Amino acid sequence: MSAVSSRSLAGLLGPFFFLFILFWLVPLIGGLRLSLHSNTLVGEGVFVGLEHYSELMEDARYFKALRNTSFYAFFTLALILPVAVVFAHALQSLGGRLRSLLQFAMLIPGLTPPAVLALLFLLVFHGRQGLLNQWFVMPLGGQPINWLKDPDVILMALIMQCAWRWVGFITFFIHSGMQAIPGMYYEALEVETHKAWHRFRWVTLPCLRHVILFCLMYLVVDAFALFSGAYVLLGGSGGTADAGLMLVSYTYQRALAFGEFGSAAAMSVSVAPCLLGILGCVVWISRRWAFKSGGHKA
Amino acid sequence: MKSHNGPSHRSFERWYWGLWVLLPMAWLFVYPFLWMFLSMFKGNQEIFQPTTLLPEQWDLVHLRRLLAGEWFPFWRVLGLSLFMAVGQALGAVVLTSMAGFAFAKLRFRGRSLLLVACLFTIVLPRQLLVVPLFEWVHRIGLHGSVWGVMFPGMVSGLGVLFFTQVFRQVPDAYLETACLEGANEWGAYRLLLPMLGSCLLSYGLIHFILAWNEHLIPLVVLGGAEQQTLPLALASLYGSSLRFPYAALMAGSFVAMIPPMFFFLFSYRRFRDALSNVILS
Repeated sequence: MSAVSSRSLAGLLGPFFFLFILFWLVPLIGGLRLSLHSNTLVGEGVFVGLEHYSELMEDARYFKALRNTSFYAFFTLALILPVAVVFAHALQSLGGRLRSLLQFAMLIPGLTPPAVLALLFLLVFHGRQGLLNQWFVMPLGGQPINWLKDPDVILMALIMQCAWRWVGFITFFIHSGMQAIPGMYYEALEVETHKAWHRFRWVTLPCLRHVILFCLMYLVVDAFALFSGAYVLLGGSGGTADAGLMLVSYTYQRALAFGEFGSAAAMSVSVAPCLLGILGCVVWISRRWAFKSGGHKA
Repeated sequence: MKSHNGPSHRSFERWYWGLWVLLPMAWLFVYPFLWMFLSMFKGNQEIFQPTTLLPEQWDLVHLRRLLAGEWFPFWRVLGLSLFMAVGQALGAVVLTSMAGFAFAKLRFRGRSLLLVACLFTIVLPRQLLVVPLFEWVHRIGLHGSVWGVMFPGMVSGLGVLFFTQVFRQVPDAYLETACLEGANEWGAYRLLLPMLGSCLLSYGLIHFILAWNEHLIPLVVLGGAEQQTLPLALASLYGSSLRFPYAALMAGSFVAMIPPMFFFLFSYRRFRDALSNVILS
């Protein structure tokens, strides 16, 4: 492309990056600064160095929140992705109008404000009368479970809520991806094999690599930013014995309920490298995997 | 969408296996919402029996009380929510499409660095930066103002990447023609925009839904009860007292679901096509 005048470049990029600096970069740096100062909201705190971080290392609740969040992220992924792949194949086997209808029905939870969803879920999980107990647990001969009070199952309830919410969207993405695979790839494979599993393993899965990577990233980030679901469902606390304590809700609690801004900022800052590390691993694994299976196919 | 594309059309000629899997699931996805809609008419006692679907009597009194603003100024809250979500979506579409055009069609120094910066806003969303964001918004005096919610919401790295991908697919020939006609980069951008209507619409729609559903940022930035969005108002009603009629909450939740559903239904097909063109390429 020809030489670009810096004026029009600034005009095109300027507005976005102005807001980027003002509302993303400055808060990030501000968070770093805040985490090194004592706990005051207005006015300058005293510089305390890494004190908040060493405090965090001894804070059992922080580790509990970190563990809960990682658990939550991992199990939502493990639950949603395989189910979504099955659903996408099921959708593919249906005809036009019915397919659109079912697809739309699955998307409804993802379109709904999470505050509303949490409200609905309160009644799904609610005591003995809740849907989950009435429809699934008791007919299968189990004792009714108190989903929101029993510390052993709170996290499970949150995970189920998340799976129910996002599975439709992930199915939607994967199904769109499947439709974009040219039919001739399958015809080429038919020369060698007729097994359905092979079709999936050697054509569908490699072609869906980018979509699946996108879904993975989306779900991991969403899990780490989880707030509304846990906040409304558990009334702003971590639930019984902190079994449902999540990172963002703990940060929120420390900052806005206890006024400990420095500690809360240290918490936010400490999550960033964790999240970046996890996402880096995801990308790295998918690259390696792509190289392997792509090489084999070609 | 061509139906002969894609896998599993031949080994699963008996198409009804999909139906057996999906119909019960669809019921699981739709039932709670159906129940929520019908609960609008019920008393508290009926609501706490979630397995009963139909109300004993069709009583609209709770909806009417909600709309009359008995618990919070309903119409003002609704208006504010709509204003914020629409404004944020429009702003994000304009800003990110401009940046996306620059990334896709212009060569300049620091291009990849800036793209990585956009990637970072996806990976570290502002929900994680909520504490320093709160402090900063407080400091520059946007606390309690709708702009304090809308401006941070427009910083969407996802939008920039999306539009970069979209503009990449536009052939350079269009751009060269525009330059021959004497247009500068700015003019070329505006010339290309009408061609991308459905992409602009799809992204605006997604952003609208995200903004409408957002809970944490408005909660922190707007602070007190003076200015509330609909999700905030509903969350604060919930659990306020035992005698509070839950039917009103159900009615409010139902209203909160209408805009995203409506917009999505309206552009469902376009969104699907834009998606399979862009993310999958």
